[in-house]
Amino acid sequence: MTAGTTVALTAITKRYRGTTALDAVDLSFRPGITGLLGPNGAGKTTLLRIAATVLASDAGGVRLLGREPGTPEALVAIRRRLGYLPQEMGFPRAFTGFGFVDYMAVLKEWTARGPRHDEVRRVLDLVDLGDVATKRVRALSGGQRRRLALAQALLGSPDLLLLDEPTTGVDPEQRVSLRQVLSRAGERSTVLLSTHQTEDVAALCDRVVVLDQGRVRFDGAVLDLVATAAGRVWLADGPDPLARASWRTGTGRHRNVGEVAPAGAEPTEPTLEDAYLLLLGDRAMPTVVAA
Amino acid sequence: MNITWHADDTLLAQYLRGDAGPLRGASLEQHLTHCAHCRARIATHVETPPLELVWSRIREQAQAPAPTRVERLLTRFGASEPDALLVAVAPSLRASWLFGLAVTLGFVGFSATYGGSRGLAFFLLVAPLVPVAGVAFAYGPDVDPSYEVAVVVPYSAVRLLLLRTAAVLVTCLPLVLAAAQLVPALSWGAVSLLLPALAFTAVMLAASTWTRPSYAGFGLGIVWACAVGAAAVGQNPAGVLAPGLLFVYAAIGVAAALVLRLRIANLTLLWRLS
Repeated sequence: MTAGTTVALTAITKRYRGTTALDAVDLSFRPGITGLLGPNGAGKTTLLRIAATVLASDAGGVRLLGREPGTPEALVAIRRRLGYLPQEMGFPRAFTGFGFVDYMAVLKEWTARGPRHDEVRRVLDLVDLGDVATKRVRALSGGQRRRLALAQALLGSPDLLLLDEPTTGVDPEQRVSLRQVLSRAGERSTVLLSTHQTEDVAALCDRVVVLDQGRVRFDGAVLDLVATAAGRVWLADGPDPLARASWRTGTGRHRNVGEVAPAGAEPTEPTLEDAYLLLLGDRAMPTVVAA
Repeated sequence: MNITWHADDTLLAQYLRGDAGPLRGASLEQHLTHCAHCRARIATHVETPPLELVWSRIREQAQAPAPTRVERLLTRFGASEPDALLVAVAPSLRASWLFGLAVTLGFVGFSATYGGSRGLAFFLLVAPLVPVAGVAFAYGPDVDPSYEVAVVVPYSAVRLLLLRTAAVLVTCLPLVLAAAQLVPALSWGAVSLLLPALAFTAVMLAASTWTRPSYAGFGLGIVWACAVGAAAVGQNPAGVLAPGLLFVYAAIGVAAALVLRLRIANLTLLWRLS
C-alpha cells in the first residue's frame, strides 16, 4: 500500500450462489473522487459494500484507512471514519428528517445533544433539507429522501465516503447543488461514487473505474477514457446500422458512435458516455439508454 | 451616575451562559445600561455572533423532535438521552407493540382460564416466548429498514442489543406476570414462567452470535411449540412448568449466558450482510 492510499483491495473475489460479482479485482484509492461506472450487475454495489464493511469478501485482501477489517476493534476504528450511502435505503417508521439523522448521529457516537444537533443541522443544510427537517420521512419526495440518506453519510465529515447512486431521483438543480457538496468532500476525503450518470462522473471525478462482469475494464483519468472515443463519434443525417449506438439528437441529426464513419458524416467531440458505450459495447446499452 | 464597580470576567461569562442567577443577573443588566466599559468587555466574551446564536436556538426548538413517551420513561429511569433514543427506535418497544402485546396476553390469559386444557396450552405456548419475540423484533436486518447503514456505525452492536434486550424484558415481563395472574391453574407457576422466558431469551441471544435474531427466535418458537404440544397431548400442559423442569430451564439459561459471554464479540462481525 503506497503512501496516501486509503482503500486497498487486492484480488478481491465475491460470489453469490454461483454468480461471480467480483473476480480477483485489484484497486486502490487515495483522497479525491473516483467514479465507478458499469452496467447493472457489474459489481459496483458489491465493491462499495465491501469497502463499507457491510460485506466480507470471499477471497482477497481488504485494507481500509490503514486497517484490515477482520476484527471487531478494527471494524469500529474504520467505521468511525466512514460514511456510506447504500443503493436502496429504508427509514424507520415515524421519524422526521431531523429525527432520522439525529438517530444516525447517535449511532456514530455523537452523544452530547448540543454538538450533535449542530452537526445534524449542518448536514441537513448541506443537502438543502433544512427547511423540511421537521417533516415526516414518509411525507418527503423520493429525491428528498435520497438527499436525507446522503445527509447521514456526511455526518462528521468522514475520511472515506462511499456513495451508491447518490443522485438517483434528484432533480437537476439539486444535482448541481450536491455536486458542490461532493466536490468539497473530495478535497480532503476519499470519495467512491457509483453511478449510472456519466455526466456526474465527468463533472466531479478525476478518476473513473469501469467495471463489467466483476472485472475492471478501465481504470484511469476521465479524460483518458474520453480520449479512447476520439475519432469514433460522428454526426450524420441518418442512423448508421453499423454503429455501436445511434440516436437522433435534438437538432434532427443522428449521433453515431462506432468504429467506421458513415457516409457524409462529420466527426464530433466525444463525451464520456460515448467512450463508455464504445468500451462496453452492447452490455452498456440498457444502462445508458435508461439513463 | 458614578460607577463604583466593574464586572469581572467570571461574572460576565456566567451572565452570558445564563448562570449568573436572577439577582446578580438583574444587577449586572442594570449596570450594563450605564457602564460603557463593561459593555465593551462583555462583547469580547461573546464567541458566537448573537444573531447566529439566537437563530440556532430557534432552529433547535423548531426542528429537534420532542422525546417520545418511551424515551421520556427511559430517561426517568436513568437512561441517558442517546440511549433512550436508540432503545425507543426498536419496533418491539413502541407503544403500539406494547398495546398489542397486552391485548394478546389478556386474550390468552382468559383462554387459559375458560378454555380448559387447550386454553392453558395456548397460554403456555405464548407467554414464555413473549420476550423472545420482543428481542427478535428489536434488532437486526429483518426489522430495521435502515439496517445497511445502521450496521456500519462505530456504536457497539453488543451494547445496542443488550440495551434493547433489557428494555424488552423490563416492559414485557410484568405484562406476562399480570396475564399469568388470570390463570388459576398456575398456582405458584406464575412466577415460574419467568424461568423459561429468561432462559429462552438467553438462548436466543447466544444463538444470535451464529445467526440472525429473527431466525434464532423462530427456531426457539418451533422447539417450544413441540414441547407444549407434547405436554398437551398427554393432557398435562402445565407439565412444562414441572418443578424438575425448572432446574433444566435454569441450567439452559446459565449455559446460554456463558456461551453468550464467550462469543459476544462475534456479534459485530456476524451481522455484516451476506
